[in-house]
Amino acid sequence: MKELVTFQVGSYANFIGSHFWNFQDELLGLLEDPQAHLVFKNQNLDMDVLYRTGETQQGMPTYTPRMISVDFQGSLGSMSSSGTLYNHNPSSSSRVATWTGNVSTQASEPHKKNLFLQRLYDEGQETNGSEILDTDVVKSLEDGVQFWTDFSKVHYHPQSLFELNGSWMNPQEFNNYGIGRNTLSEGLQGDEINERLRFFIEECDHVQGIQFMVDDSGGFSGVAASLLENIEDEYTNVPVLLYSVRSPNSYNNLTSRKLSITRNLHDAVSFSALSSLCKLIVPVGLPSLSESKVSQYLNVENEKPYQSSAVYASAIHSITIPFRMKKVGPTGESSNESGGMNLYECIQMLAGQGRQNSVAVLDAAMPPPSMAAGRFQQPLLGNLQPLTPETAHDVDDSQAIESLIVHGALGAGEHEASVSEVSEAVETEYESTSSRPRFSHLSLSRCPLPIPLPFPSIFNNLVGRRGDLLLTTPTESGSSSRRGSLDVHSIPMAARLRSTTAVLPFLENRLGYIRKFGIERGSIGASVLTSWGFGREEVEEIGENLSKMVLTLDPQQGYSSDDSD
Amino acid sequence: MSVRVLNPNAEVLNKSAALHMNINAAKGLQDVLKSNLGPKGTIKMLVGGSGDIKLTKDGNTLLKEMQIQNPTAIMIARTAVAQDDISGDGTTSTVIFIGELMKQAERCIDEGMHPRVIVDGFEIAKKATLLFLEKFKTPVVMGDEPDREMLKMVARTTLRTKLYEALADQLTEIVVNSVLCVRKPEEAIDLFMVEIMHMRQKFDVDTRLVEGLVLDHGSRHPDMKRRAENCHILTCNVSLEYEKSEINAGFFYSNAEQREAMVAAERRSVDERVRKIIALKDKVCKGTEDNFVIINQKGIDPPSLDLLARAGIVALRRAKRRNMERLVLACGGEAVNSVDDLTPDCLGWAGLVYEHVLGEEKYTFVENVKHPNSCTILIKGPNDHTIAQIKDAVRDGLRAVKNTIEDEAVVRGAGAFEVAARQHLVNEVKKTVKGRAQLGVQAFADALLIVPKTLAENSGLDTQDIIISLTGEHDNGNIVGLNQHTGDPIDPQMEGIFDNYAVKRQIINSGPVIASQLLLVDEVIRAGRNMRKPT
Repeated sequence: MKELVTFQVGSYANFIGSHFWNFQDELLGLLEDPQAHLVFKNQNLDMDVLYRTGETQQGMPTYTPRMISVDFQGSLGSMSSSGTLYNHNPSSSSRVATWTGNVSTQASEPHKKNLFLQRLYDEGQETNGSEILDTDVVKSLEDGVQFWTDFSKVHYHPQSLFELNGSWMNPQEFNNYGIGRNTLSEGLQGDEINERLRFFIEECDHVQGIQFMVDDSGGFSGVAASLLENIEDEYTNVPVLLYSVRSPNSYNNLTSRKLSITRNLHDAVSFSALSSLCKLIVPVGLPSLSESKVSQYLNVENEKPYQSSAVYASAIHSITIPFRMKKVGPTGESSNESGGMNLYECIQMLAGQGRQNSVAVLDAAMPPPSMAAGRFQQPLLGNLQPLTPETAHDVDDSQAIESLIVHGALGAGEHEASVSEVSEAVETEYESTSSRPRFSHLSLSRCPLPIPLPFPSIFNNLVGRRGDLLLTTPTESGSSSRRGSLDVHSIPMAARLRSTTAVLPFLENRLGYIRKFGIERGSIGASVLTSWGFGREEVEEIGENLSKMVLTLDPQQGYSSDDSD
Repeated sequence: MSVRVLNPNAEVLNKSAALHMNINAAKGLQDVLKSNLGPKGTIKMLVGGSGDIKLTKDGNTLLKEMQIQNPTAIMIARTAVAQDDISGDGTTSTVIFIGELMKQAERCIDEGMHPRVIVDGFEIAKKATLLFLEKFKTPVVMGDEPDREMLKMVARTTLRTKLYEALADQLTEIVVNSVLCVRKPEEAIDLFMVEIMHMRQKFDVDTRLVEGLVLDHGSRHPDMKRRAENCHILTCNVSLEYEKSEINAGFFYSNAEQREAMVAAERRSVDERVRKIIALKDKVCKGTEDNFVIINQKGIDPPSLDLLARAGIVALRRAKRRNMERLVLACGGEAVNSVDDLTPDCLGWAGLVYEHVLGEEKYTFVENVKHPNSCTILIKGPNDHTIAQIKDAVRDGLRAVKNTIEDEAVVRGAGAFEVAARQHLVNEVKKTVKGRAQLGVQAFADALLIVPKTLAENSGLDTQDIIISLTGEHDNGNIVGLNQHTGDPIDPQMEGIFDNYAVKRQIINSGPVIASQLLLVDEVIRAGRNMRKPT
């Protein structure tokens, strides 16, 4: 059980993915950097889980993410869809080898590379004297990120980046499940993406699973559903962990009633379809990240996907850590990490036993409190706040199952706490909480989250250089209230997947939408659903599917259809 | 206008404005695609914002690449793309024909005719043209042995509009042979049984037909043979990797030994499957120099690969689902889903299996098969956009050959049909029509001439002269098309220029339908658009 394949479908999923791969790239860089801190040297994470080794036709070795990204045509900005590593003769390519007649060229205006990318690609080449400074780079990213490629420092394989075309519509109109389904069923685009997946899976000796991020706020959820159907067909026993992600912008208020009904129906249909096609679904994306409790030490601007996606990417990075811990020795224990498991085991634990609930809540503490004298200075469990929308607070669920990952936790005197220290501290906290979960799994690593240069400045001034929490604000607080990669080099992280009744409101809302707008006789949304290709029976099936999910968590509830919203 | 009362934000275009909006969109789209048409057309190179290049001379591809926003243009584009889906070609012709119908209609409307009358004329003319096409087409007898020369001429006509002559002629042979290879008597031709593979190589463009199959992956074990002769081929869909069964929850074993025992048991069942395959190999290859190759749709993990390699078997994993079908058609045998009932009858045969490596890309060739009913067209090109363009052309060529076999007819090309149909409409049909609908018939007839006109224009010839000389010849009873080099009339039959019957029929069918719909629009209402903007 080894390799993971990553899917990123839709614009916001690619923003998150871009940050995610930046972290991995940073970890790889630190592993080779002689000056890097010891925890990064001994990280003991198996990067081959996420990356593949390859070779260009010229014999250059390559190491690229095992990833497929799907997005609109033109969403790659200045990056070529065939990546940067495998093109060696761009000069000869402008010759037309297949036609001797006239050639007419239509060139769109090239996208200008921003300062960050300019510096990235000029490395090793003679620059004309003008060195680009870190501060300028950070500033240019703060103001001008338009595409997810603008802040990506990773080289991708040519099979990785797929641009969806031929849809003849504005991205704004690509806003529902039905449209996405149709786009992929026309032509050969679906086949082409499935071929690329096959390319990556064929190389794997023993694939442990697929992590799938989808921006499910619009048509891409339909695209994802088609792709997931193929995965279920072709790779039946390969488990899929699905993150359905949403940017804060997707929650913008809609003025017209018709549009908001469409939106609600989309939410219900999309969730029902996606959840039935994966082993575990994790809805991610708060309507207002900046005002949520997660942002205790953060200063995020909701309207910038560049900033908000960094938070979700950090949490998702933490969740993947146990999947790639190297097994050391017969007991699997080492002084640097513990609690490794593979994706299958993780899903099996959360969704495969007890209630068989396949929806999980993602929580994060960014950063978690430091430790002193064998315990956390503030309660860690209390600091973990949900990144999943529409969850209930303070639920008392004796059946809850959770998987907690803490990595890079700091101990006294700014040293990383040892694995056993953290493990004991967490145990103590579980002992003392009132609502202890039925089962919990703990994964620990000493390796913190490195903050790469293109990470947005989203920390507030309580966060120190190594993610330690400063108890007093620095005196010159006027200078800048937001700190980024120049001031913070790494942070500890804690993240948790929870199978709990706290997710009930999320499910109930969706069930309410489909009942109110789709199933009830003469409901307003029936025509919308028909236009997406759902017959009456299929709509009822969606309703049943959702109500089954609710009943799984809350068997007592005889759900009545009139208490929605 | 009453919409305004209901919704003050709605934008309304009145009758003539709506009509002109539609006509202009159709003309605009026509202008873009016009220069594509024919063997003298212009190839288009599209360079994206990041420097990505797309190369196309195919209307279908071009329409898909263009970010069309105008709603009328989208309607036309959808019709044209549907044309391609149904008949495999004729996208450009559809678009320019619709554009020309709209243009001719505009003239009549400017003179005060009602669109309804024109539409009626279109309808009459369309029916008459379809009838005429039935008479005009050249029947081709497709018995057990199809007329190769005829198929080649059709394929060449299509390919020469997409690729330069020498390359097109090389592909003609390949395309025809591959369709004939997958053709089975009494069954519809399944073009998916022709695999199209590509390889990127440094300089030249080269394409060849492999009678057999080319797979885009190789064996994953260093000890397996890279080249094997006289191979028994086992095509299967059997998991040869260790998988956890769904029931047991991974980590609730009470101790490590128990876990180990479970793992070992799972492993044993995989090994058992591998052993059954090895047993079959020993049975069929015993005492001979024959080789044994497994091509599996599911995974094969390293321990299983090890076992197979030690037994001298070459194994490929994760083959394409479609290749399972193709392999059986190419090599014989059958695809098996379980190793329980393996018999030597399940096996196929190939004279030669070898691997070709290019950087990280591996290709496995399965060749010298006995009675191939599946084959592979292997395209080599220097870069992605060249390969993509050749691929598109090959697909069109395959469709053209398939259409010919299924239609059992072809249509004389080089504009001959359009001129003949036009003369037929003007000289015969128009007289039988009463009243003003005559003008609609005339408009339709003139619109047909856009095809020869555009062909002439793209060759740099004088369109008026050409049309006059062509119609003159037709009135004298000679069926002629346009020689694009000289501008002289030629006999398409002599030159071997033939178009697909299905394509022509589809164009005549769908063009007027969409044009009529657009002409009958008398009000365009845009409600909702303004409401969505945040105020």
